[in-house]
Amino acid sequence: MTAWGRAADPVLICGEVRTGLLQHSESLPARAVADLLRLRPDERVRISERPNGYAVSPEVLTGVDCRLPAAGGARTRVVGTVAARAVVTEGRMLQATASIVVAGPGPDVRHPWSHYLARPGVVEPLGKLPERAVADGLLAGRARPGELDLGAVAERLLARVARHRALDQRAPFKSRRTRLRWVALRALDGEGPSLDSFTLAEDGLRTVELRLPARVSPAAAAALCEDLALHDWLLTTLVRMVERSRLGSADAPEAVLSLRPAVDHLLHLWMPTAHVDRTLAPLWDVLEREPGFTRQWQTLVQRIRDQLALQAITLRRDALTAH
Amino acid sequence: MLVFAASDKGGTGRSVTSANVAFRRALAGDDVAYVDFDFGSPTAAAVFDVPEAMGGVESGGLHTYLRGKAAEPVRVDVWAETEHEVLRDRPTGAGNLVLLPGDRSGGEFAVGKDVLRRCTDLFLRLNSEFDIVVVDLSAGRSFAMDMALEVTSLPELRGVGSRWLVYHRWTRQHVIAASGLVFGSRGILAGGVARGHDEEDLANRIRFVRAAVPDPEAAPWAMVPPAQSAWMRKCDQDLNELAAQRNVGYTRMLGSIPLEPVLQWREQLITDEDVLSSRVANMETLQALKDLAQALDDDEAWGPA
Repeated sequence: MTAWGRAADPVLICGEVRTGLLQHSESLPARAVADLLRLRPDERVRISERPNGYAVSPEVLTGVDCRLPAAGGARTRVVGTVAARAVVTEGRMLQATASIVVAGPGPDVRHPWSHYLARPGVVEPLGKLPERAVADGLLAGRARPGELDLGAVAERLLARVARHRALDQRAPFKSRRTRLRWVALRALDGEGPSLDSFTLAEDGLRTVELRLPARVSPAAAAALCEDLALHDWLLTTLVRMVERSRLGSADAPEAVLSLRPAVDHLLHLWMPTAHVDRTLAPLWDVLEREPGFTRQWQTLVQRIRDQLALQAITLRRDALTAH
Repeated sequence: MLVFAASDKGGTGRSVTSANVAFRRALAGDDVAYVDFDFGSPTAAAVFDVPEAMGGVESGGLHTYLRGKAAEPVRVDVWAETEHEVLRDRPTGAGNLVLLPGDRSGGEFAVGKDVLRRCTDLFLRLNSEFDIVVVDLSAGRSFAMDMALEVTSLPELRGVGSRWLVYHRWTRQHVIAASGLVFGSRGILAGGVARGHDEEDLANRIRFVRAAVPDPEAAPWAMVPPAQSAWMRKCDQDLNELAAQRNVGYTRMLGSIPLEPVLQWREQLITDEDVLSSRVANMETLQALKDLAQALDDDEAWGPA
């Protein structure tokens, strides 16, 4: 595990998570998940079963020598490796994250590759690093040609796992993937972690800005953001399914039936902070207050269950009157 | 489900009919993607009335993606981007309608291993997100068609349903050409079998669509002098016989779109307003498009012919 203290003088960590439904007819058993995530022969897949099924692939590295996007057009060239990993939750959800630790001011000339390979997941700038401008640049829009595109790295990894032959590509319902882009600047000495912003941008993009103490590892930061992305995806997808079902409209039995995939495959997945580092778990409380993730989720789930109960009563009454 | 739209010749109404079918399915509540693999002459954006993507996008389209120069191809949300005044108000209950345009100066290109992998990823991704994925192929045998046959034969896609629509006009030459495109020695079936498809299974997933079909019994043809009328009826009958001989007959036909003045003049979507309020388009055309859209996943219309 790379702690961000390992780099020369780490300034920020950033990454992008892509989240989607695993394209399989049922939830994939743990053994199949392990096969799916065995991205490297030399490292094993980490699997845990409590409090829910969760598996993390080994990291795969991609060498980069490119510019960082920066607000205001500052040009910062970085060299190093991007770390990417795939995560499967409850054999049902697939996520891929690409992330980097950006080290502080570097030398003016490039080191030999062996230097960078010894620091997996770290990129070092040539010269100074305008951290605020880079953080803003990373969170904003699409990467221009020649700039670091963590989304592309995450997308490639996700596609690689998603085409695995163990998947039958017969998912129980259609759904969209979401993208969550995150940047973590270093918290001031003595201050705890904080979540400065969580925004919903266009086209399924979410952005998160964090401040993290130096002791927090990049893997822990990635796990936090994967957790946010997972629950944001669940909420987004369930809202859309309920909207589409036209729950509460005239054709109630039809609407309730169309929500069956949600009952079968989604409702049990809600478990915030299940695999988040204990020191970072309080950041969830911020989102619980505003916008109120769990509150909205519970309301939706309750609504579905109420409708199911009403339909069950109607069916029972119809059956009784038929006799 | 993947729906490949093919034709042997240009000018068969393949793109415009496929776009109308995509539009109908979206209106009915399905999420629909329209993938413009007509690499030589991308026209879909014109049909959907999306000016920025007219003739393809400047960069970042399907060519850029398949060549590995972009992680994902550009998508155009038709309801949001169209200039068509009726389409701009997305109807309640309508599904997503997304266009994936080609690049303006794209052209055809050779299919290597990396291109196949990217195409596989694209089809898997679109299938996970959309109920119907219409893939518009260039006329004739093309790289795009070879790629479609190759990718759909891969084990990665065995769980993804795919069907083929072969468009042709209702003339002697078009019927012969459409038959050749499917059953000829270099046709879809032979190409598919060479790539590992089962011949019977593939044949069961191919259907013909007749486009711009004149009806001798309907206006304006019914008004012509008796001699002309008799001649037209005879032609129609001969064509039906020819089609049956060439395996392009009724049993393999999924739909027949009447000759429609609006589509003759301009490649466009036929909206309900065009038929009901402004009455520029014919009710029969609208009904034929609706029927064809519905037949895409009507299992009784598919299978052994």
